[in-house]
Amino acid sequence: MRRRHIAAIGTADDENEINLTPMLDVVFIMLIFFIVTATFIRETGIDANRPDQDQPQVVRESGAILVIIDNQDQIWVDNQLVDPRAVRAHIERMYAENPERPVVIQIGPNSTTNTLVGVMDASRSAGVYNISLAEGPG
Amino acid sequence: MENDRYIEEEESEINLTPMLDVVFIMLIFFIVTAVFVKEPGVDVSKPEAATAITPETASIFVAVTPGNEIWIDGKPVEPAAVRSELERLRSENPEGGLVIQSDQSARNQLLIAVMDAAKQAGIGEVTIAAGRQ
Repeated sequence: MRRRHIAAIGTADDENEINLTPMLDVVFIMLIFFIVTATFIRETGIDANRPDQDQPQVVRESGAILVIIDNQDQIWVDNQLVDPRAVRAHIERMYAENPERPVVIQIGPNSTTNTLVGVMDASRSAGVYNISLAEGPG
Repeated sequence: MENDRYIEEEESEINLTPMLDVVFIMLIFFIVTAVFVKEPGVDVSKPEAATAITPETASIFVAVTPGNEIWIDGKPVEPAAVRSELERLRSENPEGGLVIQSDQSARNQLLIAVMDAAKQAGIGEVTIAAGRQ
């Protein structure tokens, strides 16, 4: 009688325990799925802020450093034709005169991205991180 | 006699609870960090910049090819349709920023068009992709 009693308790305990194996299978499969689909993208780039339509006009009046990239990929700083390698020095000089000035880049529609990124990089190297992009006549 | 055997069986079973805890925490981590990035589907040669940074919330990618096509999510898109495409992608991931992978020799007209479309679609953070020198 005593033995039967113990056996009965043992069976009851076994049935009370939840079988975790199927859940574990599912959890593992989900884990593997998420590990495999996890894409840790390391893309580098330069912040680009496009001002509102009417803003560039206001900025220009307050004495921004105006850089124009024309359709032939030539760079004009302050209405002066500048070699791409000298853009940084020019912006540095103008920035030193008035550190509050932002840089406004007027982009010709047919200029290339390489020139644009070059000018933005030069401006950031010179310490001016406040860059506005505007569409210019080219 | 019966009692002894019962105890022995209990002890030989491995306790799975700590492993389950670890697995669940890993699972939650991967679910939370999972960003389903929509790659544009074309490779472009990016311009180089010494001051390039890594944007924190990049999840929408747009490519502008040297042939002046705009690629989003694995297919070419007409310039007029860029905005609706960006709005669709943004609704899937409202926090994500935009990265424009523009080819070195791509025309800036398209770059500006994409940036304007992003502004209209309400995407705050826009980055022009550039390799670090």
